[in-house]
Amino acid sequence: MIKNFFKSDVIKMISALAVVGVFSAITLVFVYEYSMPKIEENIRRATDEGIKSIFPEADTVEEMKHKGVFEVRGQDKNLMGYAFIAEGNGYQGPIQVIAGVDPGLRTMTGLQILESQETPGLGAEIAGDFRKQFSGLSVVDEIECIKNREPDKPGEIEAITGATISSQAVVNMLNNRLAELRDKLGVK
Amino acid sequence: MNVEQIILIFVAASVTNNFVLTYFLGICPFIGVSNKVESAVGLGVATTFVMTMAATFTWLIYHYILVPNGLVFLQYVTFIIVIASFVQFVEMVIRKISPALYKALGIFLPLITTNCAILGLTLFMVLRDYTFIEAVIFGLGAGVGFTLALVLMAGIREELEFADVPDSLKGAGITLILAGMLALSFMGFGGLISG
Amino acid sequence: MLKDVVKGLWRENPIFVQVLGMCPALAVTTRSIFGLSMGMATTFVLVSSSVVVSLIRKAVPPQVRIPMYTVVIATFVTAADYFLKANFFEISKALGPYVPLIVVNCLILGRAEAFASKNGVLRSFLDAAGMGIGFTAGLVILGSARELLGAGSLFGVRVMGEGFTNWIIMVLPAGAFITLGLLVGVFNLADQKIKKDTACHVTEKSG
Repeated sequence: MIKNFFKSDVIKMISALAVVGVFSAITLVFVYEYSMPKIEENIRRATDEGIKSIFPEADTVEEMKHKGVFEVRGQDKNLMGYAFIAEGNGYQGPIQVIAGVDPGLRTMTGLQILESQETPGLGAEIAGDFRKQFSGLSVVDEIECIKNREPDKPGEIEAITGATISSQAVVNMLNNRLAELRDKLGVK
Repeated sequence: MNVEQIILIFVAASVTNNFVLTYFLGICPFIGVSNKVESAVGLGVATTFVMTMAATFTWLIYHYILVPNGLVFLQYVTFIIVIASFVQFVEMVIRKISPALYKALGIFLPLITTNCAILGLTLFMVLRDYTFIEAVIFGLGAGVGFTLALVLMAGIREELEFADVPDSLKGAGITLILAGMLALSFMGFGGLISG
Repeated sequence: MLKDVVKGLWRENPIFVQVLGMCPALAVTTRSIFGLSMGMATTFVLVSSSVVVSLIRKAVPPQVRIPMYTVVIATFVTAADYFLKANFFEISKALGPYVPLIVVNCLILGRAEAFASKNGVLRSFLDAAGMGIGFTAGLVILGSARELLGAGSLFGVRVMGEGFTNWIIMVLPAGAFITLGLLVGVFNLADQKIKKDTACHVTEKSG
């Protein structure tokens, strides 16, 4: 009885599932091959545009041996600073930003949001005026995220009203990444 | 392992970033099965169990099979198979072990596969790069949050039977509006985490 | 034949009547353009998987039909996701994890199970196309209502005057639920009116 059972139904079920599975995998390989180069190109373009907006006078941008850190040089090959990608979790999902900092890792030159799924009108405002606060910000000490008052000390950032979590997330990911960068580049 | 981080993930998944009320995941059962508190609890418990298990298994498969072999593009197909077979497995086990429980949960179990909260959970887990323990806690928290939203809604809807609702809003309409009010009140929990 | 297409637009509209596929409907409709893209992606998956399900319907052992349909759907969703990432990078970033979640949109499995598994390819195609268009229209209406009040614009073009203050609640989850609830009510009201005007007819429930 068990033998018959296996002969009829189970084999039929398993082979049907296997056929569908194989077809699915083959289709997806083709889709993957077609789209992956384009996706990588899109990501590269977004990163490049981000760096260009932080360092408008940049001439050459080169990724260093540390992943996600770029060396930015100007026309006369002088080092203008570093651009680095930082990631972390915001309120709704992952946030990815690209930030620029001077060669001595003392002052930030700017910040661009690469990816965020924050609430439009609230958390998504990290891409608005909030972001502009980072140009020229001192990062000698850790950046501090403050609420309900104007920043009066260097290194202070005012959080977006109603979106403290998103604001804090951006500040945290920058602090972490800056500490890491200091370590890797050997800058005191 | 950082205990604070784990508590944070649990609270975020269950309350402040409630799957149903902020990510809109699991709305189908939320609207369909929320007219009685009793059935809401049953579905909630079963879903929590499947969520925790799905998080555990998909994490292992993703990190030990898909990523090392460069098969990440198969993740949606794999995840949904894992979830569907797990639901099937739970159904079989419960039927064998406790026919009474099976009878109580039976009709809800197949529904769990198409609950987007579960696939959503596995996708968020990958997106946020959780460690194994974080992923399991995340699954548990999301399940608790789903149950909480479902039971609260069922409680409100039981009261609603005595209310005078305009004809055109009866059923889905008023349920959605109530869900909106619940979502508003859950926003109040938002301060919990940053503070 | 025509009936297969038209029913998805009004009488069995997936959003306003069947209230199916709510996750994407609520989550991505903060802007009308996102509603449109999500609707089109869903329509693509819905039509392709309905056609495939209808083609293989005689070869599928009934016990494993649901897993098989799900694999077919998941395959098309992955394809749609990669296509969006490759060609519409900005939109795919905005839709985020809600594109893969099309896999568990009950509308798609529902049509596969209730219609495509029982009918020929052409009728399944028409049914799916009608449902897809109805779903897209629902998302665009919802997205436009939320964008108009929540950001004062439509498809990214500012339409409200300078003095208009954005209703932030409209782009928050609470606003999504309430807007959809009210729209379902309006839809019912309109439908009742039409029903009164025409002779009575039987509505069939499917899901």
